[in-house]
Amino acid sequence: MDCKFVPSVCSYCGTGCGVLFEVIDGKINSTIPLKTHPVNQGKLCIKGWNLHEYINSYMRLKTPLIKEDGSFQKATWDEAINHTAKKLNHIKQKFGPDSIGVLVSAKITNEENYLAQKFTRAVIGTNNVDHCARL
Amino acid sequence: MDIIHQVEQLFLQDKIDIFLGYKALDGHLIPHGFTKEKLNELKDLKISDDRYSLEKIATHLVQKDPDIKIGIIARDCNQRSLNLLYTWNQLNPENIEIVNVNCCPSPIKAHGDCSYLEPKQSGEFKKEHGVDFNADPESFMETYNNNERFSRWMYEFNKCIKCYGCRNICPVCFCTECSLEHASLVEPGTLPAEVPIFHLIRATHMAGRCIDCGLCEDACPSHIPLRLLYREVNEIVSTVFDYRPGEGMEKSPFTIIGDKVTLEPKPMDFQVEGEK
Repeated sequence: MDCKFVPSVCSYCGTGCGVLFEVIDGKINSTIPLKTHPVNQGKLCIKGWNLHEYINSYMRLKTPLIKEDGSFQKATWDEAINHTAKKLNHIKQKFGPDSIGVLVSAKITNEENYLAQKFTRAVIGTNNVDHCARL
Repeated sequence: MDIIHQVEQLFLQDKIDIFLGYKALDGHLIPHGFTKEKLNELKDLKISDDRYSLEKIATHLVQKDPDIKIGIIARDCNQRSLNLLYTWNQLNPENIEIVNVNCCPSPIKAHGDCSYLEPKQSGEFKKEHGVDFNADPESFMETYNNNERFSRWMYEFNKCIKCYGCRNICPVCFCTECSLEHASLVEPGTLPAEVPIFHLIRATHMAGRCIDCGLCEDACPSHIPLRLLYREVNEIVSTVFDYRPGEGMEKSPFTIIGDKVTLEPKPMDFQVEGEK
């Protein structure tokens, strides 16, 4: 039997609490707080404590979905990214960059949020970038 | 290091299938299951000042494979919880090999090298309104009257964010059905039991169970002095039943399932003063 602990960062919000996944025979069995992590210092909220549950959930989406004729179809990442890029390009050319807005999330990291705003400003060419925490 | 040699011998003598200890990863000391197949990993085996509930991991392993033989690094608190898990049939002492290491200060032992060597300091506001981390149950009971104790504990309980961390981290919390989240007691989709019921349910369940490891208090994001609360509950168990959880292989006085109840039934129609 194989039992190891894998440190990670909680994906539920932007706080960035350190967690440890208890992995038994390749399957995540439970989540515990990482005691030495500077952010959460061995403490977690109820979502962090149950982080492993959505990883193994049967309802979890494991592939991107593309909507075709009103229903979602499974797709590969390449297909999904190409499709999105094509559509964004099309919208930008037809209606201008300000017709696109990007909404980023508290659930992704600071660095990913930075990338998203850079993408919005430098690639799409609009200042329409906002955050889901502005409620 | 001596301990590495000790564990290596356990593997070579086929006494254990897996050894639960600590190793360093990215500057953090984290628990790790060392196996015979990866014997070269043993050189990374460390003793950690940051305590994790290795016994709880052992119970998870036993759930997957009931006959697995487990070696485990144990401080006194680990040893106490192992004793308790043996008496509650959660682990089989024949399948557990213990490698003892130094431990933290507790009513049982003064010497220690873990996070409790420096006691937590209570702030001024908390000293005035809440419960001091360093209070011991007796002096706390003597210093404050009933009302004051109640308001101080309510101040602490009201900070609770219901993360269930105290239960999740607890090495001796092993019930498959927990009364803090059982669907017949707490309706799914509603808030968990309110303050202070939540805490008092857990406190009563810790009577005769809590081995005073302090992991719950370590894991509490709201700094509720749970250790003091459970010490107080266990003080009663110790006075009434002369039972201290985890000290030996003696079964808890609350292990009544399957045994004959020795308490005599008493009539409940006693007269309340002032009523007819």
